[in-house]
Amino acid sequence: MRIMGPDEVVFGVDDVEASRTFLVDFGLEEQRQADGSLRFAALDGTAIRIHHREAQGLPAPLPTANSLRQTVWGVEDQAALDTIAEELSRDREVRALPGGGIGCQDDAGFEIAFQVTVRRQLDLPPERINSPGAAPGRGANQIGADETAPALPRTLSHVVYFTPDMERMQRFYIDRLGFVVTDHFTNTGPFLRPQANDDHHVLFLLQTPDYMQGLEHVAFHMQGPSELMLAGTRMINKGYESFWGPGKHKFGSNWFWYFNSPMGVHVEYDADMDKHDERWTAREAPSNAETSQLFLFQSTPKWAPMGGPPPGNRK
Amino acid sequence: MAPRWQHLARLDEIPVGESKGFDLHGEGRDSLFVVRTGEASVVAYQNACPHVAGARMAWKKDRFMSSDGRHITCFGHGALFRPEDGFCVSGPCQGQYLATVEIAIREGELHLRLDELAN
Repeated sequence: MRIMGPDEVVFGVDDVEASRTFLVDFGLEEQRQADGSLRFAALDGTAIRIHHREAQGLPAPLPTANSLRQTVWGVEDQAALDTIAEELSRDREVRALPGGGIGCQDDAGFEIAFQVTVRRQLDLPPERINSPGAAPGRGANQIGADETAPALPRTLSHVVYFTPDMERMQRFYIDRLGFVVTDHFTNTGPFLRPQANDDHHVLFLLQTPDYMQGLEHVAFHMQGPSELMLAGTRMINKGYESFWGPGKHKFGSNWFWYFNSPMGVHVEYDADMDKHDERWTAREAPSNAETSQLFLFQSTPKWAPMGGPPPGNRK
Repeated sequence: MAPRWQHLARLDEIPVGESKGFDLHGEGRDSLFVVRTGEASVVAYQNACPHVAGARMAWKKDRFMSSDGRHITCFGHGALFRPEDGFCVSGPCQGQYLATVEIAIREGELHLRLDELAN
């Protein structure tokens, strides 16, 4: 099953204008669609799509108030799409969608769709650092601290769901769609990657009561830790509310910074995630503050130890 | 000991149906918020969702309300709370309450009762 990752996450929201403001400030590009919805795209074309919750023609809402309506998975090519359609048609209705994709529900009641991916191949520089003992990442007179750098999300990284039926849900993605478990939080859930993506996770599941079912967060990959800090600091300076971060996770090794959003879910910047292949053996750990992060910081108002010695010490 | 009161803001700085956060400790984040529920009525709560200890609720500075103004919202997971008593009607913490903060209106000014405020 040659699934590459999430192409698009679709919401039916209470406040379209607030969502628009947030997502543009987050660094995504607004693209008005023919059906009246708004698409907010990362550099490779992956996106968040916003509809008003009462818009016509949206996938059905979840039984909870969560604003997630659909997760659209990008697959490598038409042959991959056909394989998935055939597999899922065995035990559920698979709808043909405008534009050539297919739609259905997963085994936990989430609306999902598949399409030949919209992901454009990116050709962009990495974060360049100077490290003693290694060749310089930046040559002489190349400045690293650029307050005007764009800091734009590059690609949709991963989605995280609250699911009341962990066992059925993980079996669906593993057994039917070929996802691989990279690591596992005991009593919380698995980190999963699809076969056509070597990122540590594009999907993570959290076991919850049924009244919490929904999307917990959606994350976008940034260039590196400096760009993540720059983008997050700009959000703070605009008055947005940090939920968790900045910090660095253990499983996946990625830097993280999560923000509240008008969609009622978290939206995360991440950077520098581990990559894996079939030789990897999944680790297991209990989920807690110690295991979920290597370290954690919190943004504070700017401060610096300015000035000379205190007045009494001046001679 | 007589209660101590701290001046917060003018009442008319908060339009009816809207909310405003206050950073009492100079942390760069708001520790409590006030909702103006009517011409001469306000409620105030700690900016802490009962679902996750320490989780702040707005999506942006002063934005604690649903778009129709009917519910206080935690924009972390979309929990909805009744403004009048902070009761969570929907979301991860349904059935729980926001922690109230006592404030008073005197001559159009909002005052916070300090000894009621937990850190």
